[in-house]
Amino acid sequence: MKFSDTSLARESRFRDHVVHFGVAALLSGAGLVHGAEPSTPAVAVPAQGYAAGLADSVGLRATVFGTPPQNLAPMPSRVPLVEINISLPWARPVPDVFWFDRKLRVWFSAQAKPAPLAIVISGTGSDGNNSKLSSLRGALYGAGYHVLTMPSPTFPGFIVSASSTGVAGDLMQDGRDLYAAMQQIIARLPRKVRVTEIDVLGYSLGGANAAVVKSIDAGEGKLKIHRAVMIDPPVSLFSSVGRLDRLFAVSVGSGDDAIERLYRRLYAELANLYRASDRVQVDEDFLLGAAATALQTDAEFSAAIALSFRVNLVNVFFAGDLYAGTGVVVDPKHPPKVGDSLEETQRKLRNMPFADYFTKVFAPYYLKRRPQATAASLIADNRLDVIGDTLRNDPDYYAQANSDDVILDQQELAWLQDTLGPRIAVYDHGGHLGNIGERQQVSDMLKMLGGSWPVPAK
Amino acid sequence: MRRGAFYCVLAVVPAVALAGCASQSISFRSVPAEQEALPPVTPADAPSMYTYDPWERLNRFTYRFNARFDEAVFLRVSNAYRRVPSPVRAGVHNFFGNLSEVDSVINYVLQWRLKRSARSLGRFVINTTIGIGGLFDAAAKLKLPGAPTGFGTTLAMWGMHPGPYLVIPFLGPSTLRDGIGFFGDYGTSYGIDVANLYRGNVSWGLGAANAVDQRSNINFRYYSTGSPFEYENIRFLYVRKRLIEDEGLRAKDAAKGAKSTPREQNELDQPAGK
Repeated sequence: MKFSDTSLARESRFRDHVVHFGVAALLSGAGLVHGAEPSTPAVAVPAQGYAAGLADSVGLRATVFGTPPQNLAPMPSRVPLVEINISLPWARPVPDVFWFDRKLRVWFSAQAKPAPLAIVISGTGSDGNNSKLSSLRGALYGAGYHVLTMPSPTFPGFIVSASSTGVAGDLMQDGRDLYAAMQQIIARLPRKVRVTEIDVLGYSLGGANAAVVKSIDAGEGKLKIHRAVMIDPPVSLFSSVGRLDRLFAVSVGSGDDAIERLYRRLYAELANLYRASDRVQVDEDFLLGAAATALQTDAEFSAAIALSFRVNLVNVFFAGDLYAGTGVVVDPKHPPKVGDSLEETQRKLRNMPFADYFTKVFAPYYLKRRPQATAASLIADNRLDVIGDTLRNDPDYYAQANSDDVILDQQELAWLQDTLGPRIAVYDHGGHLGNIGERQQVSDMLKMLGGSWPVPAK
Repeated sequence: MRRGAFYCVLAVVPAVALAGCASQSISFRSVPAEQEALPPVTPADAPSMYTYDPWERLNRFTYRFNARFDEAVFLRVSNAYRRVPSPVRAGVHNFFGNLSEVDSVINYVLQWRLKRSARSLGRFVINTTIGIGGLFDAAAKLKLPGAPTGFGTTLAMWGMHPGPYLVIPFLGPSTLRDGIGFFGDYGTSYGIDVANLYRGNVSWGLGAANAVDQRSNINFRYYSTGSPFEYENIRFLYVRKRLIEDEGLRAKDAAKGAKSTPREQNELDQPAGK
């Protein structure tokens, strides 16, 4: 299947966050509360704090709405795009409820001449072709790279088709699965494609994944990955995620009642907006306009961000519970079939934070398989420090970060700066991923990948 | 045929995204209080988060069938179709849009929204003549953009409730009412049989072309979320989207009854749909 990326660019922009829809998406996509109210009650900032403070509306707004179109770097008018669906030899039997995730789906854009290959890994829960990847793909393709975009190892499609455990979220394990999948994919690229060297990138969790993949490759040498660029990576997976859980707790609340309240407010808001509009249908344009109208306060931005993450978590949790047989919501002896309702399961999972995934699925699964491990060591293993020395000493690792990123605190940002030294660019805006595709971000990223990032003399 | 109405919701789904598009300009005019015949919708008015779906088991199998059919046939064909030069595709799209205008004229009458009916009729006449058999949407250029409606909406105006959720083979998410609406629309088109297109020799080919045109204009791919909860999510969104539309219809109807002609005027001035 081939089509031009330009026709997809606009569409996939819509698809992006809400690739995970459902309640949360509906809620997160459009306004949550009284959009017209002038006051901006900031969400109470948890004691742990954020790099530049959660109450920074600009960062939150950027996180929700992304890079404003006028700030986007120019893109090539046409980017060829091929979808590759691949069965991996180590794939496990596909559970009935995941019948559609049998193959790993990645997206490839080929240059006509020999060129370096940039592999881009998606963020938490996201697939291999969303609006952020589109921006990055356009920039990289325009700069002369073959571009391969991959889903996150926490994307259900990856968990089912490519994970060797089914329990996603372990930095090294996910890195090994990604690395193995990359080898299979590269071996099956169209024959006329000539790759001169391989670089890896990723945004958010994908950034950490990219760095780990390069470090694994440094040992195994099968792909000879040259450079790695992390865009807005977490430093400690679990504390970043914990921060999003807290964001959920303060902006949405907990339990079914809180979600139902939010849903009801949103429904009323949308219904009234629709009445006041001249639309015939509740369509894309209407909803986007409604979202822009209704999402106004920090509390609303926070709820949107937190919900959007929670929707992803629900999928990871479900898959993990199913594969690990931990029985939290899936009866291991009677897994659901195609005709079975999952509404109740989804409702339960919606109310469960990441902490529950860790204690009820992740830790039991990995502790059983790693006799020396403890809960504390599992958490420590999921920090970028596991490859800290490599990051510090190997000049081929780079990062881009924003000082108002909601997933980092000040110490973590400082750690990144200290570890990477001149190989990190820190921007004063963008929140989390809200400046992807921006001129400065793109130009710096290309310099990093090309090895021309200015490293000032010490 | 208003096959699009069903798939359209699918196009909506991704749109719920926050995805950076604050640039969309839609005017949400606040309606002056005296024109608002119905009180605003309050959170307490929102329907339950649960959806009435007594045929869930069957619906789920149909949903999977639709997903497989889409992957194996529909999507491939419509992707291949995308290689056709876009002016040609636009012509095809306009052609089918123009055919469905006839159904809109009738349904607007049934809904007693006569100005809109007249507008649809005007569009049909302009596009069939100046627009060369409907290949060009000349009316839109004359500030008369399309605002299609159908029998499902008419039934809603008549007070029929959506009824149980229903996944229709090939077509996708619907409700019992909208399903009846779809077949009503098809029956109307078939009955009127403009230019012998629906009963003539070319009807099968035309139906297929219409389906491909509709599909290629809908940005939805089954299970691109990878989520096992897609059935739940789509059901949730589809049903609420339709309820919000019904709600809007009622409000507009009531406002019209409250003798607020400026509102109807405005309605006509604005582009509807995309």
